[in-house]
Amino acid sequence: MTRSRSLRRWSGYLYALPYLTLFGLFVVLPLLYGLRLSLFRWEMLSQLPPRFAGLGNYAEAVRDPYFWRSLVATFQFVALAVPLTVCLALLLAVGLKSLHGRRQAFYRAAYFTPTILTISVAGILWRWFYNSEFGLFNAYLGRFGIKVPWLTDTHWAMLSIVLMTLWWTVGGPMVVLLAGLQNIPPQYHEAAVLDGATGWKSFRYITLPLLRPVLLFVVVINVIGAFQVFGQTFMITRGGPEMSTRSLVQYIYETAFNNYRMGYAAALSWLLFLVIAVFSLAQFRLMKER
Amino acid sequence: MLTEDPQNHESKRHESKRAEGAGNPAGARRRPWLYEGLVALGALLFVFPLVLILITAFKPDSEIVHFQGLLPRATTLANFRAILGSPEEIPIARWFGNSLFISSAATLLVLTVDSLAAYAFARLDLPGKKWVFGAVVATMMVPGQILLVPVYLILNRLGWLDTPTALIVPAGAGAFGVFLLHQFFVSLPKELEEAAAIDGCSRWGIFWHILLPLSKPALATLGIFTFIGSWNDFLGPMVYLDSVDKYTLPVGIALFQTSYYAEYGLTLAASVLCTLPVIVAFLLFQRHIIQGIALSGLKE
Repeated sequence: MTRSRSLRRWSGYLYALPYLTLFGLFVVLPLLYGLRLSLFRWEMLSQLPPRFAGLGNYAEAVRDPYFWRSLVATFQFVALAVPLTVCLALLLAVGLKSLHGRRQAFYRAAYFTPTILTISVAGILWRWFYNSEFGLFNAYLGRFGIKVPWLTDTHWAMLSIVLMTLWWTVGGPMVVLLAGLQNIPPQYHEAAVLDGATGWKSFRYITLPLLRPVLLFVVVINVIGAFQVFGQTFMITRGGPEMSTRSLVQYIYETAFNNYRMGYAAALSWLLFLVIAVFSLAQFRLMKER
Repeated sequence: MLTEDPQNHESKRHESKRAEGAGNPAGARRRPWLYEGLVALGALLFVFPLVLILITAFKPDSEIVHFQGLLPRATTLANFRAILGSPEEIPIARWFGNSLFISSAATLLVLTVDSLAAYAFARLDLPGKKWVFGAVVATMMVPGQILLVPVYLILNRLGWLDTPTALIVPAGAGAFGVFLLHQFFVSLPKELEEAAAIDGCSRWGIFWHILLPLSKPALATLGIFTFIGSWNDFLGPMVYLDSVDKYTLPVGIALFQTSYYAEYGLTLAASVLCTLPVIVAFLLFQRHIIQGIALSGLKE
């Protein structure tokens, strides 16, 4: 009796089996395989088999100026894109919340639409906007005698990438924050009105604290996404000029699939994972304490 | 006191109405038109680039390179004719077919394996399921890009590189769908299946005849998400596919851009063809999509 019951309990896993097989093969196995690989030297193009190198790949990364350059570029992107995206998303969500019904749904869809573009299309579009010869931006700015080196100057290039990213990605966080705002029971604001708090005060002392869990989610997801920036820079600047926009993921991609240095690429991947994990944990801590 | 003072009640209602706008910065309530005007202006800026692709795709190249204003002076179908007319050089119909096949198959796979797994985790009494499900959900935090190199090597070992399978099968391993459907299944009342079990319904019957039909909105959300995600995937096909005739639209267009560098008209026309299906799907299902995103962000 108990045995057949326990068998019946275990047999429930049959439903999860197809998924768990794929999960094991394409998530768990690659994670462990990647970690193991990062301890090996393996230049796939040479006929030499992989050989154990201990922490050699990690030591190489520490001394590799290209690694540091791409890490700096990635941090620059994260530091610019995340705060701007979250602030703009919050601003738009607050604006949309003041509208109702169909009008709200209409504008919400409008802000969200760029998000569904594939990066090659979005990249082609913005490359054209930014083109210094016949780009749309300089065509209009040119009438005032201004010519901006959007993609050709090492300082401007990252800003241009961030601007494009704002347009492309703000829709997702905006939708989540809007739902978060609408989930706040109106009684809180009613009570605040009775206490004389309106406008900015009510937003600062009531809306924001109540929104904190959703805000934390949005920030963490955005940071994880921003550290993995690749498509925009790859399509629009190819990492240039002078590697000023070459992100860590692009460096990993080139290490693995242009140079076929699989062990080193795996080590770089794990370093990226480490950076992301540290930042995510720090954010959880920080938001919990406050 | 059981009877309420009607005047007091009235004033309370009035206040709650006033408070509705209190989540917004000062002035929102007093000047609603100003606020909506700003929202509308911003929305226009956001949609404008999309409209621009569409307009410009109908311009001759000379007008694109020498910018003469937003609207075309001479409309032409030449760009569309050029990309559709030379299937050997630009196999765009082929890429479209590849994209459609890969995205549809991936969506079907994800819906099947995820709904089965979510049912097990949400409704069945499995030993140690808290740990297994916890591990699955935890991997949602793992950045996908770090799996790129090992997954490439595994696909290589399986002999799946440069085939559609390389993009379809790994798509079924994502944790997001299991999580989303799990949240949905958990929210359905337990009494439903208790009643069905008393009537002699099996576990499979409960899943197939009761839970799935009730979950259509959640399945639609996940389906659209998966389809658009797969349709737009860029890094995957770029790394796992080799031959040009096996490409999907996004990588095809990216390649196209590098080889037809100066011909913006062609590239934009190709972009229109690539984007139109997703835009249509989005407009048809936008409520599902947006609610799905909101749901994934709000539930713990």
